[in-house]
Parts: sequence; C-alpha cells; structure tokens
Amino acid sequence: MNGLTLVARREITTQIRSKTFIIGLIVTALLVGAAAFAPKLMGGPDEYKLGTVNSRQLPLQAAAPDARVEWSAFPDEGAARKALLAGDVDAVLVDGAKVLTDGEIDSELGVLLQSTHREVKLGASGVRIEPLLMQSVGADTRYQSARTGMAVVLTVLLFMLIIGQVMMVAMGVVEEKGSRIVEILLTSVRPWQLLGGKIIGLGVLGFINLVTMLVVGLGAAVASGLAVDFPPGMPGVVAGVLVWFVLGYAFYATLSASLASLVSRQEEVSNVMTPLTMLLMVTYFVAFYAASEPTGTLATVVSLVPPFSAMVMPVRMAAAGVPMWEVGLSMVLMVAAVAGVLALGAKVYERAVLRTGARVRLGDVLRAK
Amino acid sequence: MLEITELRKHFAGGPESPDGKLALDGIGFTVRQGEMYGFVGANGAGKTTTMRIVMGVLQADSGSVTWQGEPLTYAGRRRFGYMPEERGLYQKMRVAEQIEYFGRLHGLSAVAAGKATGDLIERLGLGERRGDAVESLSLGNQQRVQLAVALVHDPEVLILDEPFSGLDPLAVEALAAALQERCRGGVPVIFSSHQLDLVERLCDSVGIVSSGRMVASGAVGDLRAAVGRTLRVVVRDPAPGWADGLPGEITVKGDRHALVLSGGDDQEILRRAMKAGQVEHFGFEQPTLTEIFKEAVA
Repeated sequence: MNGLTLVARREITTQIRSKTFIIGLIVTALLVGAAAFAPKLMGGPDEYKLGTVNSRQLPLQAAAPDARVEWSAFPDEGAARKALLAGDVDAVLVDGAKVLTDGEIDSELGVLLQSTHREVKLGASGVRIEPLLMQSVGADTRYQSARTGMAVVLTVLLFMLIIGQVMMVAMGVVEEKGSRIVEILLTSVRPWQLLGGKIIGLGVLGFINLVTMLVVGLGAAVASGLAVDFPPGMPGVVAGVLVWFVLGYAFYATLSASLASLVSRQEEVSNVMTPLTMLLMVTYFVAFYAASEPTGTLATVVSLVPPFSAMVMPVRMAAAGVPMWEVGLSMVLMVAAVAGVLALGAKVYERAVLRTGARVRLGDVLRAK
Repeated sequence: MLEITELRKHFAGGPESPDGKLALDGIGFTVRQGEMYGFVGANGAGKTTTMRIVMGVLQADSGSVTWQGEPLTYAGRRRFGYMPEERGLYQKMRVAEQIEYFGRLHGLSAVAAGKATGDLIERLGLGERRGDAVESLSLGNQQRVQLAVALVHDPEVLILDEPFSGLDPLAVEALAAALQERCRGGVPVIFSSHQLDLVERLCDSVGIVSSGRMVASGAVGDLRAAVGRTLRVVVRDPAPGWADGLPGEITVKGDRHALVLSGGDDQEILRRAMKAGQVEHFGFEQPTLTEIFKEAVA
C-alpha cells in the first residue's frame, strides 16, 4: 500500500470508530427518514366539515375528489349557528339557499359550494354540462411540488455534508501541523500523498454519509407512499447528486486544506477559513433560490459557474429538467476548476505546512520560489 | 557514514529584524557507522536547524548532506529515524496502531510493521498501554512512543532532537539503553542534548555548536586532550606560603588547601607539597564535558 492509501485509510478508520461519526450518521438518517414521512403527517388533503338545515347534501365529493367532506344535519338554524361559533363546522347550508359561516368563507370552499349548487340546479332542469378538459402545453408540472421538495432537501443535505467534511479536513491539517507530527510524516510520505490521502479519506466518509441518507430517504419515501409522486428519471437525479458531491467536495476540501495549512492553531482555523465559508454560504443561498425558481436566469447561469454549479446544478436537476448539454458543460467547467484548485492548493500546502508559528501569509507562500 | 558539509542557512527577517538571522554558518561534521554523536550548544546555536536540514524538513541555502557517499535524497531519508524537538503524535490514536502506522508509512508490510511494533512495545515497557490513546499516557510514556515511532522501521540512521528532555532518570536509562543497542548494531546515532553529563557518558564523539558554527568536534578523548588535564593537590595544614610561585589556584576549606594547576613539574610540586604538610590527594584530572564546552564556547 502506498502513502496515499495508508493516509486515507487512517482517516477513515479513525473517524468510523469515533462515537461522533456513528451518532451523527444515525441522527441524520433519522432526520432524513422523518422528512420523508412529514408531508403525510402535516399536509394532507383539504378537509371540510359542513352542516345542513332543512337541505340536501351537495355532491361536493364528486367535484373535489381529493377533499374530505363530512356532513352533519342540524334541526334548526339556532343549533347550526351555535355549532358554527363553536368551530364544529366550517359552513352550514340552510334551506338549500344560503350558507352560514363564522367570518368569511374559505375561498376554495365558497367556489366549490357555488359551482356544485349551480350544477345541481341545472341538472334538475335537464341541462347537462360536459366538464372542461384541462391540457398543458408547457412543461409537465404534475410532479412540481415533489420536485421542489426534493430539491430543497438536497440543498440542505449537500450543504451540511460539504461544510462538515471540509471543516474536518481543515482541522485535520492543523492538528498535524500544530503538533509537528507533519515533520515526521513528511520524512516518509510526500506532501501530495498526505494532503490527497486526507482529502480522499474524509471524502469517502462524506460519501458514505450521503449514500446512507439517500438510501434511507428514498426507502422511507417508498414506505410512506411519498415516492408515488416522484418524477420519472430519479436514478439520474441520484447519480447526479453523487457525482456533484464528489466534485464540490474535492474543490472545497482542497481549498480548505491549503487555507488551513497557513495556521498552526485550531483557534485560528475559523478565521482563516472565513472566505471559504462565505463562498459556501453564497452557494447555499443560490441553491435554495434555484430550488424554487429552477428555470430562472440566475439559477441557469449560476448552475454553469464553478464552484457554485456543484450545488446549484444538482438542485436544478431535481427541481426541473435540465438539458444534457448544460449539465455536460457545467461538469466540464467544474472539473477544470477542481484541477486548478488541486494544483494551486497542493503548492500552498506543501510550502506552508512546515512553516509553524505565526500565521503564514498566502501572498508569501505564492511568491516564494 | 553520514557526512554533513558546510551547511549554511539564513532565515528571512521579519519587521523587527529586517536582516533576518544567519542560523548556520558553515556547519560540518561526520558520523561513522555505530557511532553515537552528541550535539551540544546553547539554545539557538543551530542544532535543531541542522537536524531539520538533514531530515529534509528545511532546505539549506548551501552545503551538502551525504549518506554512504551519496547525496541524501527523499528515498534515503525514508530509511532514517527522526524524533523532532517538538513531539508530534496523534493524540487520539492508540499506541500500537500509531507505531504500526508509521512503520507502514516508512514502507513496511502490514506483517512486518505489526511484528516490529510488538517488539518495540515489549522492549520499551509499553505492554500494558498498547491499546490506550496516546493522550492518556504520561509524558515519559509518550516519549517512549515517540521513540518507537522513530525506531519502528529499523532505521539506518537515527536523528533525535533533545530525546532526553523532560524524562525521569529511569526513563533516561531505558532510552539510553535502546539507543546504545541500535548503535551496537552499526547505526549512527545523532542526538542533541543540554545534559552534558549524559552526552559525556553515552557519546563517542561530540560536536559543540555556537552561533551556527562548529567550534569543536571529535572524539571525547581528543577534545579532552586539547583542553589538557589538570593536576589537583590537597595538602592538610600546610606551612603558609608553600605554593608561592606555582601556577594555579588555591582554595582553602578548613585546614585543607587544594591546589589546581595545569602544567608545571609535577614531581617538584609533589616534593613541595610533602614538605609543606600531609598530602591527602595528588592526581591528574580529566576535564569534564562542561569544562570543554565552556572553553570552546568562550
């Protein structure tokens, strides 16, 4: 086994055995699983409680098949008013001619009552009306809400995972630099092996995390019945997420390792990492925006620009269909950016990691021969 | 043979010292197979810088380091054992795993690293702590782990920066024994220390550095000879003025007069002493390393 694999393996075994990693994995898995059940528990279909006084029930169920309608009959108007004020019913139909409510009626319910009432009256006089046929000439939006929900979950997931692993890389680099263990390490491995091994090792852990969440999330979605609403092409979305995670992580982790190699104490890490966390935050907000406006100009442009594309593109892909050429272009640009950051980051790391003591200035490192 | 020739290193200055600092001004010395070489000098004299350059942690401005006649490369250094001045270990890693990990980084197979680790743990008396995290160990035991890390790949050369600092006498003995054993196996050992008595006891050769320069280097015996032996005479209750005209210093403690001098006709001095009173002690004394050091650095 060469230095790179040995270093990566150490990172993985050290983390996997730590309680923090196991607990973190279980907690996130539970959260993702719970998220898949949440719509069923919280949202649910519209529910109407209606009453009648001296009237026949209107065929609301036929007009709104998704809604749940419950009827109850009252002996007189007084009893109906009491029930309305107590909140037991939403509306009461009196004598088939007026509707009593407590305050203004829910607008959907109002329209529903009016139209069914009309239909019933017309039907009674022998007029038959064919319902309007609805047809979309634009994008298929049947799955829009499921897609948006998925995109939001993905944004949060990718952000948490990338920032979590990237901070681990930074702290690991400073641990080795601060304790001078790096002096011994670098007499037996090359700087790029040490840097690469650390990035790969922690990346594998992040990947394990991501796969676990995807498996738990999709499994729970199937179990909760949420998966019925999933759009076609889910395998593509999932594969895209994995690829984009790898690219985004590689970019930010390399940047993070080279920034962290400038300082020697853990207390200085968050300070030196500020530009990177800012960049990640911006990416996060744009990705959030893209989840709700996946076809907007901002989302389209930013999903092509590295490193933002690493989070915005998978979110866009989940939220709406994206032409293949855009995905391809975005990926090529991101791979180029990762290659650039790797070349530069490895150089900074190699030059700075042995210079212990005061914080090393980035400019000095880049200027040095 | 490890040959260090004319090392020069200048550190760039900061705002408070714009000229920087000349850390090494032509340091050079040679360590043969199986030789234990003690590296002494005041703080900031250049010992650590020299060792870091030998280990490739720092780049020298000029000068060379050769091992067995060849310029020392990365591949060569991988077969060296190194203990830096500031100790570095993974605090949360277990003792045995840590030693094994470094063995593997130095190119040992899993089996060989495991075996070497087991042997070292036994030899350094860490058997009961092998499964413990390093952070739970005492300073002395952490130092043993650090040494094990330097020894695990059976290095061809050992470079140790202040290996004895902060150790209790028993730990010093254990560490010294481990180093002597390697030395007997033909490994050159270089270590720096401020404990001159220890250096004197353990080392075949000594290098004394001062302000980036090697002010004295060679076998301890040769250095002693260069400084010269001294004659010490103790006379009880001598006649006053007995040593008038003799080169040397007299210290009086009670009725005992001690005369220390170098050079002069020893037989004549003995006769005068016997005539003056009762001679309690008459003998030559070797200079201690401390005296050699003071002389060299002065």
